Amino acid sequence: MKKFLSESELARDERFVRTKIEDRLFDPRGAKVAARNTGPAKMAVDRPAAAERSRSLMHGIFVGEIQALEGAGRTCYDFDDDAAPFQLKLDMARQCWDESRHCEISVKLGDHMGTEIGEYTESTFLFAAACNPDPVLRLCGVNRALEGLAIDVFSSMKDFGSQSGDPILEFCEDWMLADEVTHVKMGSDWLRRLTEKDPERRERALEFQRTVDAIFNLGGFRGEDEENPIQLARKFRELAGFTDEEQDSLAELARQSTEQARQMAQMATAALDVSAQGGGS
Amino acid sequence: VSRVTVTPDPFTLIAYDAKEIAAIVEDCAALVGVDPGVDIGVAVDEELFAPLVGTTADVVDGRVEIWISGGNLENTRQPRTFAPEQARRDLTIALLRAKDRLSDDFAAAPDDGRLSRGERAAWDVYAVGRAARLGAPVRRQAQLYEFRLQHGFTDVADAAFDRLWQAASITWEGIREICKETGAADRPDSKIPVDLLRRK
Repeated sequence: MKKFLSESELARDERFVRTKIEDRLFDPRGAKVAARNTGPAKMAVDRPAAAERSRSLMHGIFVGEIQALEGAGRTCYDFDDDAAPFQLKLDMARQCWDESRHCEISVKLGDHMGTEIGEYTESTFLFAAACNPDPVLRLCGVNRALEGLAIDVFSSMKDFGSQSGDPILEFCEDWMLADEVTHVKMGSDWLRRLTEKDPERRERALEFQRTVDAIFNLGGFRGEDEENPIQLARKFRELAGFTDEEQDSLAELARQSTEQARQMAQMATAALDVSAQGGGS
Repeated sequence: VSRVTVTPDPFTLIAYDAKEIAAIVEDCAALVGVDPGVDIGVAVDEELFAPLVGTTADVVDGRVEIWISGGNLENTRQPRTFAPEQARRDLTIALLRAKDRLSDDFAAAPDDGRLSRGERAAWDVYAVGRAARLGAPVRRQAQLYEFRLQHGFTDVADAAFDRLWQAASITWEGIREICKETGAADRPDSKIPVDLLRRK
């Protein structure tokens, strides 16, 4: 079996449609929408298109769970026992079990909301974080950045379930959230153990985690304001082993990403307006 | 056949064809039984994409005025491409609501921009149920979820949903009664306008 699989080689059946993140970034409608008031990004029953936006996000969570399963699975196989101790692989195997269950729960939640597998496209940039050839960097990318994002996503979905009075969504998200806290904790513990005598490698791993975190903040997706659809779940992140300093740093990174997205939208809108008026070069 | 106008024509941000949309609207209007003497205007908001979906269906001076998000017409499996079957479904539903407005049964109904979310969700179920019986490829579970978000995840709400879905005829007063029954009428008003997506 091949080691170090690239994201283009992930197996999917005919229901899945893959999209590239650039397709959305270069869609001229994106800048127009960013300049409009489409209501609070935070999930709520009174925001416009609440049901469709929830369904779309639920589908995104589902494909994210598949990629998390694939990422943890690859870590069990890609490295020999010198690079990644057997106990670490056991933890990753347990995580595969959890992620498989999350996939099944997410499919059922999709049914509950009225969507189906493949109704929306899949972007595989989550799996890209799981392709690092250094197991420590990969662990930081997957178990601290990606699974940290999962904590934020599940916490936001749980709040939405509670606010909308949907007991099924609230209950399911709460159970998955508990697993994600464990996954991040495993990442934090293994990072400490594997880099105990190599502070330089630890710093490289944390830098890689910050890079992945920055990608997940893209366009103000995550933050602590109403305009961020996914809210930073500080309480659960603390349980998972993130320090206050790390949380403050991530919140600042998220604020910068939101501001950058706003500025880019303004520039793109201005450019489109000039173009529509026949100007520009 | 109703006289149909679709704007914008041409589309500039996305490759939708106004003539193709107009032809679909003509078919749907005939299917739901809109009086052929009634003119129909359809404004597609081409800036919006899925999942930012939404429609409004009003009658102004005897003319049907439909506003629809470009996201309603977009193939979610292939973004930026037109989805004719989905367009047919959503325009059929909008035209059923417009036809309601042309009847005495809904004469007292406020414009779509002034409906409560509960009223709109209930009216939509009544329209989507009829669209299903006309052969439109609707998604019952998706509609139930939308209804539950505004009327509650309760047995009372689900029973009301079933009645609305199966109803061959219902009035504006009937819609309001259902909102009282499920408790949707008692929900506090939101500061977010129900037709926010339509406002630029």
